[in-house]
Amino acid sequence: MNHADYVASDGASISPEIFSDASLYELEKRRIFGRAWLMLGHLSQLPRPGSFIRTLMGEESVLVTRDRKGRVHAHLNACRHRGFQVCQEDRGVTTRFQCRYHGWTYDSDGSLAMVPGEEQLYYNEIDKCRWGLIPVARVETYKGLIFGNFDADAQPLLDFLGDMAWYLDIILDRRAGGTELLGPQRWRIAANWKVVAENHCGDEYHIGFAHGSALPPDLVNGNRAAPLMFAREIRPGLGHGLGANIFPDHLRPRDWLSNGSPMPPFVLDYMVDVHEEMARRLGHQRAHIQPIHGAVWPNLGMVPIFNTLRVIQPRGLNEVELWSYCVVDRDAPPEVKAWIAAQSARAFGPAGSFEQDDANNWSAVTRSSHGIEARRHRLNLQMGLGHEERSERMPGEVGLTASEINQRGFYLRWMREMFAEICKGPSA
Amino acid sequence: MNSEGMMRLIQVQQWLYREARMLDERRYDWWLELLDDRIRYRVPSRCSIRQGQVKDFASWSVDRELDCEGSLALVDDDLVGLQLRIARLQTGMAWAETPPSMTRRLVSNVMILDNDADAMLSVVSTLFLAKHRGDDRVLFTAERRDRLVISGEDFRLRERYVVLDDVVLAGENLSQIF
Repeated sequence: MNHADYVASDGASISPEIFSDASLYELEKRRIFGRAWLMLGHLSQLPRPGSFIRTLMGEESVLVTRDRKGRVHAHLNACRHRGFQVCQEDRGVTTRFQCRYHGWTYDSDGSLAMVPGEEQLYYNEIDKCRWGLIPVARVETYKGLIFGNFDADAQPLLDFLGDMAWYLDIILDRRAGGTELLGPQRWRIAANWKVVAENHCGDEYHIGFAHGSALPPDLVNGNRAAPLMFAREIRPGLGHGLGANIFPDHLRPRDWLSNGSPMPPFVLDYMVDVHEEMARRLGHQRAHIQPIHGAVWPNLGMVPIFNTLRVIQPRGLNEVELWSYCVVDRDAPPEVKAWIAAQSARAFGPAGSFEQDDANNWSAVTRSSHGIEARRHRLNLQMGLGHEERSERMPGEVGLTASEINQRGFYLRWMREMFAEICKGPSA
Repeated sequence: MNSEGMMRLIQVQQWLYREARMLDERRYDWWLELLDDRIRYRVPSRCSIRQGQVKDFASWSVDRELDCEGSLALVDDDLVGLQLRIARLQTGMAWAETPPSMTRRLVSNVMILDNDADAMLSVVSTLFLAKHRGDDRVLFTAERRDRLVISGEDFRLRERYVVLDDVVLAGENLSQIF
């Protein structure tokens, strides 16, 4: 197949081969996961000197640490001697990472601290300064989220986020104290990572149908394909995507803040107070936007209406590991945090009333993309093409909900990253 | 164990077997009848965690891998949460279970740990759950830590804490009750 045919130049159709061609996946490791900003975690997961978490960038194990002086680092989790993982745990506190193979030992800043037999076996000839853990080339944070990038020449994180940052603030910058992450829940799904990422990025269309069992009956029994009154798909550009309710000024936040899930009074009162604080911090425009779902290119998905962020970790061509977190205001009372965490897990995560039904869709799409006949025929992403609009109230292009404006943006970004040399189409 | 204790153990085993069979046969409405109104059903996430010094092996306890600081439970339900979970399955639109999974639960290693004054039993059991659906076959093992309210010859489930033996769950979802 001609590379140019993987994604139509307007994004309105794709070839299933992009989910099933192993050589494309190998290329994605280098051209996408090798040079995009990838979410590693949150500063709240590293509360003190010596705190560490183990995560993934693409398929590579990465160790994120706070050193003795409080600085945050990210390194490849691989001993410089033979490449064994120096950290075998998911999280914890330590200032020493000792490889279990031969005992080389690293400090929490990544430096090589100790080599067994340095004197007798290495004749004091090993230059320990040259054999520290391999640092992730760039590490930056945005409002508490830690991102890493293997590409030393990558653009700054803020430029990479572009207009998406304006929307992320509604999730991450509601209060002066910021947020913290609970989790992750982790589970495996036999799906290509893009199938999962595009769903988070732009798929409002599936909600009324795929999630019919979890929605209030009146919504399901009505016309489930009708556009939702206040919801819009917003394309901030650069492959990021967001779906959000944009409420008119005359509606009181108290009336719409709990429309994701009914809240007990102590939670609703908290949400109303925080909404006022957020309006003061972020301004009037953003105070009327309620993010529902979205994704930061390439693999940071989110369903903010249920307080979840998730990293879609590729684990091969046909497998992802979902790392699902609950995001809560750091300074929220413990009982509010506990309610939000339980409610979030009721809706999303492997046992969630919504997400249970997602995984099977993603694995089934992936499976059918492997058929010799099936992969000769294109898949349709034309919904809302040519009906995108600009809004004075917010950055980016806007389409109805549902519209596949964001999936088109996602796959056009994919084409540009993978085959920049043949991509001269409109930027998205 | 005296004969009274033996009898109690058999009653508890039979109750657990009946429960497992109800779930395998998808008699979810019957299952809800087994629950105490104040039920708490919790499945914590499990972490592989650094627990002090490596040489301190005795302190590497299972409990410290559960509900770690900052972790997020997979399920944390009360009675209403469980009722909604069951009601969802019965909408005909719970696609992950439409058509339903075929499951088989094996319950073993049943022990009564404690008989307290509130007519409550602490019971642990091991669950082996095999689930088949479409092309997928998933196996789960877990310890269940239950608290049962004694009501005559019968019991009601007041608390269930499910210790899954997975850090990364193998199945696409947790659509079934443990």
